[in-house]
Amino acid sequence: MNKNRIIKLIPVFTVLAGFIVGGIIIAATGSNPFTAFWNLIQGCGLAPKASYAGKKGMITDLLSFIDLWTPMILASLSVAVAMRVGLFNIGVSGQMLFSGFIATVVVGYSGLDAFIAKPLVIVVGIVAGAFAGGIIGFLKFKFNINEVVSSIMLNYTFSYVISFFINTFLVDPVSRQSKAVSAASRLTLKDVELGAYKMDIPLGIVIAVIAVIVIWIFFNKTVSGMELKAVGLSNSAARYAGMSVNGNIMKAMMIAGALAGLAGVTYYLGYFGSIQPRVLPATGFDSIAVALLGNNQPIGIVFASFLITVLSKGSTYMNSASGVQAEIANVITGIILLFCACNAFIKWYIANRDTTTKKGFKRKSKKADKDGGAIAEADDKKGEV
Amino acid sequence: MNSIIIDGLVFALPLFIMAMGGIFSERSGVTNLALEGLQGFGAFTGAFAAVMIGTVSPDMSPTAIMLLALVFAVVGGVLFSLIHALLCIKLNADMVISGVVINILSMAFTEFLTKLINAGIFNMPSNKFVLTVTDKITVPGISKIPILGAVFTNLYIFEIIIAVIAVVAWFLLYKTKYGMHLRASGDNPHALDAAGINVAKTRLFAVMISGAFSGFAGMCFAYSISSSFSSTIYVGYGYIAIAALIFGNWNILPTFGACLIFGFARSGGYKLVQALEMPSSYQDLVMILPYVLTLVLLIFFSKRNRAPRALGVIYDKGAR
Repeated sequence: MNKNRIIKLIPVFTVLAGFIVGGIIIAATGSNPFTAFWNLIQGCGLAPKASYAGKKGMITDLLSFIDLWTPMILASLSVAVAMRVGLFNIGVSGQMLFSGFIATVVVGYSGLDAFIAKPLVIVVGIVAGAFAGGIIGFLKFKFNINEVVSSIMLNYTFSYVISFFINTFLVDPVSRQSKAVSAASRLTLKDVELGAYKMDIPLGIVIAVIAVIVIWIFFNKTVSGMELKAVGLSNSAARYAGMSVNGNIMKAMMIAGALAGLAGVTYYLGYFGSIQPRVLPATGFDSIAVALLGNNQPIGIVFASFLITVLSKGSTYMNSASGVQAEIANVITGIILLFCACNAFIKWYIANRDTTTKKGFKRKSKKADKDGGAIAEADDKKGEV
Repeated sequence: MNSIIIDGLVFALPLFIMAMGGIFSERSGVTNLALEGLQGFGAFTGAFAAVMIGTVSPDMSPTAIMLLALVFAVVGGVLFSLIHALLCIKLNADMVISGVVINILSMAFTEFLTKLINAGIFNMPSNKFVLTVTDKITVPGISKIPILGAVFTNLYIFEIIIAVIAVVAWFLLYKTKYGMHLRASGDNPHALDAAGINVAKTRLFAVMISGAFSGFAGMCFAYSISSSFSSTIYVGYGYIAIAALIFGNWNILPTFGACLIFGFARSGGYKLVQALEMPSSYQDLVMILPYVLTLVLLIFFSKRNRAPRALGVIYDKGAR
């Protein structure tokens, strides 16, 4: 097989490796890994379960799965956009929480009509998210603060401050979460009866599909998208070519924030309908896995997010059906991530396997490799915080 | 006032040792965002060892168990740090990505294993290891001095160990041959290589030190903050340690100062909530103090600071 084709298949091997290791762990704990993985698929409504509760069916599970898949796609796009300029947006969780909270307070508790409330939720999500993402971009170019550190700090700050507001003003004494938002403002139509089944209709998936298309066009067909890439690959080269590095960092982080904001509203005002204090959404962290796995490309992200959502959504049913701990899903995600981190090495190894044999030459030849972007990226990281 | 100093030190010292580990790693040229995951995994192995030892020999004193737990935490931290070393030194992975991946992996693994072990070995469905409360030491005499005496009151044993390690680490980094090699490896690895020193080995050892120190710190946090190990150990202390070392300009003494500020800000905030008799939900507002302070300090100090020149750059023999 030719080398380029093998390189394209790396994500598939990465995923397989993750599942094999996960499967071995499941087998070691005394369960059947194949049953467990089948349960994952069943739990997401992609295969029929043995039995269903009243008025529930495969379609119910499937729509619920799509409802959770939506924020995952959006959050991962957010990571990908930031990665485009070489920034690691680990603050997706915080941006999701922030925009979800703002939208909840501004629209969720207002008595607005559905036709005004739903679009307004989306707009508020975008604006709040862009603001939260913009802070990180601003801190980066103005004060040269490492975006990973600043976004983690913001994550916890958002988490605690919002927890304070929820616990002090908005708490529902029964659920210990924020009071549920109005049905009119929710991006998921709850308990719709169609035929024999009751289901939740996820409206957010439309936004996610549009976002995927828009970002694909933005990355591949616009000057602006190429500029982001240029800045990401080499700050200095982009600057000499007359591009504004600061402007592009700011732009990327605001777009990333806006996408995270959309993820936040589809998560908190779509899938859940309330906010749990002191908890950062796991979607925000899983999205890093998705973006790495999807190679930061919109199409790749669609597939990768599908897979990671199957893991996280299906694990609950897997736990109840075959007793395998739900946390194994995170372990598999983590292992996939670990292999992803080695991607640069694997790519380089495959590309150079035949051409050089002596150790001394191997390293040098990497420079000439077309995947040399990693090196340029590392060069730019030099000297920052 | 005394309690602010006592609680502040209990938080600041583990943070300091972790930041020190970070300094070793970053001065050698390996960006280490994995501190968070390393401290978590260290705390996990240490707490597991403590619970196991407690079950096997129930007569052992809590202090002895704690010391053993700290040893195991160090071992766990070192083992987990080898992954980071492998990825960053051998496999040429992006160091930032590697660090974040290790944090996620550590969180997933420890959460999974804790539940598994509790269900499998101890037969109870719990997601944490409960640790025994240990005695604290008050140095007689000195502790009577007003204000300053508080430093010597109600000490955990690990605080004394950290003080000793800190001195040794300072000496190692600034006064020994190895320390010089390490710093050279972060500033000019090619020169080090030309002098006949193995850059990869130097960096490997530095990353292992950061693993050891982080594991130790994680165990201290597990004892002092909740007397248990659970996934709540991952609340960003690793990242605060990184902020502290950036603020300290990658030098040990200023970093110590930064850690003290974080520690006292935190304990002072808690005291304030108590003193003003505010409802418990206001504690959430205090909790943000270390994080906000980190950001504010970084804003003032990031520009002025100078990172090791080869930080985050994969060592490439052929590069000019």
